Amino acid sequence: MNWERFLDALSRVPHELSIHVIMVLISLAVAIAISLPIGVILTRPRFRKMGALVMNILNLFQAFPGMAIIALTMPVLGMGLKPAIGALVVQALLPIARNTIAGLYGVDPNTKEAAQGMGMSERKVLFEVELPLAMPVILAGIRTSAVYVVSVGTLAAYIGGGGLGDIIVAGLNMLWAEFIIVGAGFGALLAIFFERGLSYLEYKFTPPGFTITK
Amino acid sequence: MSNLLKYMVENASIILDYASTHFSLIFSAVAISLVLWIPLGILISRNERLASIVLGIANTIFCIPSLALFSVFVTIPFFGLGRPSSLLALVLYAMMPMVINVYQGIKVVDKSVIEAAKGMGMNSRRILREIQLPLAAPVMFAGIRITVVMATGIAAIAAYIGERNLGRLITEGLTRYHVEMILSGAILIPLIAILFDTVLGAVERMLVPKGLKVSRSK
Amino acid sequence: MIELHDVTKIYAGQTVPAVKNLTLKIKEGETCVFVGPSGCGKSTILRMINRMIEQTSGTILINNKDIREADPDRLRMGIGYVIQQIGLLPHRTIAENISIVPRLYGWDKERIRKRVDELLELMGLDPDETRDKFPAQLSGGQMQRVGVARAMAADPPIMLMDEPFGAVDPIVRGHLQDEFLKIQREMKKTICFVTHDINEAIKMGDTIAIFEKGQLVQHGTPQEILSKPKNEFVRTFIGTDRVVKMLTLFQVRSITKDNYSIIRENELANIRQKMDDEGAAVGILMNESAKPCGLITRDDLEKAGELNPEKIKEIACGKKDAFIDGDLLLNDALSLMLEWNCDYLGVLDGAQLIGIVSFDDIRECVRRKEGE
Repeated sequence: MNWERFLDALSRVPHELSIHVIMVLISLAVAIAISLPIGVILTRPRFRKMGALVMNILNLFQAFPGMAIIALTMPVLGMGLKPAIGALVVQALLPIARNTIAGLYGVDPNTKEAAQGMGMSERKVLFEVELPLAMPVILAGIRTSAVYVVSVGTLAAYIGGGGLGDIIVAGLNMLWAEFIIVGAGFGALLAIFFERGLSYLEYKFTPPGFTITK
Repeated sequence: MSNLLKYMVENASIILDYASTHFSLIFSAVAISLVLWIPLGILISRNERLASIVLGIANTIFCIPSLALFSVFVTIPFFGLGRPSSLLALVLYAMMPMVINVYQGIKVVDKSVIEAAKGMGMNSRRILREIQLPLAAPVMFAGIRITVVMATGIAAIAAYIGERNLGRLITEGLTRYHVEMILSGAILIPLIAILFDTVLGAVERMLVPKGLKVSRSK
Repeated sequence: MIELHDVTKIYAGQTVPAVKNLTLKIKEGETCVFVGPSGCGKSTILRMINRMIEQTSGTILINNKDIREADPDRLRMGIGYVIQQIGLLPHRTIAENISIVPRLYGWDKERIRKRVDELLELMGLDPDETRDKFPAQLSGGQMQRVGVARAMAADPPIMLMDEPFGAVDPIVRGHLQDEFLKIQREMKKTICFVTHDINEAIKMGDTIAIFEKGQLVQHGTPQEILSKPKNEFVRTFIGTDRVVKMLTLFQVRSITKDNYSIIRENELANIRQKMDDEGAAVGILMNESAKPCGLITRDDLEKAGELNPEKIKEIACGKKDAFIDGDLLLNDALSLMLEWNCDYLGVLDGAQLIGIVSFDDIRECVRRKEGE
């Protein structure tokens, strides 16, 4: 273990970590802004048929590896941070849309009917019954996305996106264990941080006595 | 598009070579995972405390970015660049989907069925073999399916630590700005993953015991 | 047959015992119903008998042998067990479900096949139609039948039944209870039966054990329980219609009398004479084919005053449905009396008249049983 190299690696962390976090947060925010409304629209009665179809397609795309998305971005969007974020948005879309649809479908129809029967408008049923009840599942989707995005974010280094991947890649190129450990360590911590944080949110948003089966 | 096809045809032998390495890595990783994680999943289904520990570990490992996990093993002298590190990382990633699906598959078997079987004098080994495992089979297989699909994608990243597989088309393509090369990798890998997913999905449906597929209306 | 001595169960992490110092004896061939509100410990007791739960202290004997000396799985194989959720194996056919215990005993295929068909027949299911179906293809009532058949498969001398008919609608439940009573009359198994429904307890039980908060409050025959509720809890649990419930214990034929006159069409004119001569309380009008077609009491005759045959016939025929089958119960008779506003009913066995039953006789019967 070379101590100086280790410190060198550490000194790069603040910069790369903040890029990584920004990359993750922006792509998550954009992905939520896109896929949440889509999920809601696709579960409305008049689009129900389409919702099932989209669900099937989304399930199929679950199998699409993050590395392939990153690689496909390069020829289309070029190199740099913005293309990287673009790739991450695509990566993050699927789990959120999928869980939004699944969560909304999963709301007990009897509950919805009871709400309607009490005179709630369709809008009110959505905001006061469906979304709160589906929230834990939607949050689980956001959590999955966040973990993916942190993970795939490290690959962004290969298309010039920067982030913690830069430190790892430098380490791999030079075969410097110190760089690898620092980069990988912070990458792992960041992912675990997002996972735990969002798990906690999910737990907070779950109505008492309500268990979700994932 | 025609450039892409031309590239793939011209380099067919090397692509096939990469593909076979890719498959052999997936195959070994899945085989090892089956041997390790299915028994572990069964074990923790009978011990709640152990289950929460094991699932916690699996979940944490699953969070670690793939590039990070691959790279970390490179720094360990015994593993180094290449197959052992890639294999270990893939097996560890597989822990989460496989263990949790075995565990949940067994756990979701209707409690009253177990209660009745136990009350009739079936011992717990028999209950496991004749009731829990057959009923859990589709869920367990879903775990295997997720593992295979996931491994297909993640194995590509192992190209960064010296595996000569389809991921190499992407890594090398990116360093050489060779668009056709990148595209051939970025298209072939998802294609294979989706193919696996579809085929294994069909197998999964076949595994559902007949008694669960029928209903009174038929 | 089954004896519990000073049995106590305290669940881990709890201080209040679920079952406390229970001593209870269930005789061979007897159906003992454990009844009480939820959480009274009745299911816990049942599950201790086949060691699904181990008691904290005390002993449980089956045929004078401590159950803790037996291997739990062997013990359970020898005891039929039916639960409310039924718990049929969803991936096995009905025949396979029923043959679980025989298979554990290692019966040969032919013997198992015969036994399955025999049981399906016994439970009122068509073997050819049911045998190869899966549980999901049956109705709730059919599944519960299969559940009972499965428990009886190896002909165990003891059956434990935890709300076995609890998951079906009241009409199907009534059928299942009747059929099971009929089967039990021949099988004479020793049965522990858990329910929270006092009516089911009265119907199914040779004896009833009433529990409150883990303790046995009263154990006795339905008649004892109904006529002499031990305390306020039992009284409340039985309900305000206690005496009417007691009526459900007796068949109409048990108090049938024969102080009636048979009146034919041509005897209508001197009906009063005939009834006086025969000391009858009731005249039963017979049609040409000697079928009862009407009923008239002395009271009716008084009120009618004028003895016009046409009028008498009209009154009698107005009560052409005031007849009851002798197999029915006294509460049914009471209900019919109220319905027809009539103190007397004719009692039938099929289409055959076998006597009459009166409101006074019912009252007398209750008075006598309450005194016993």
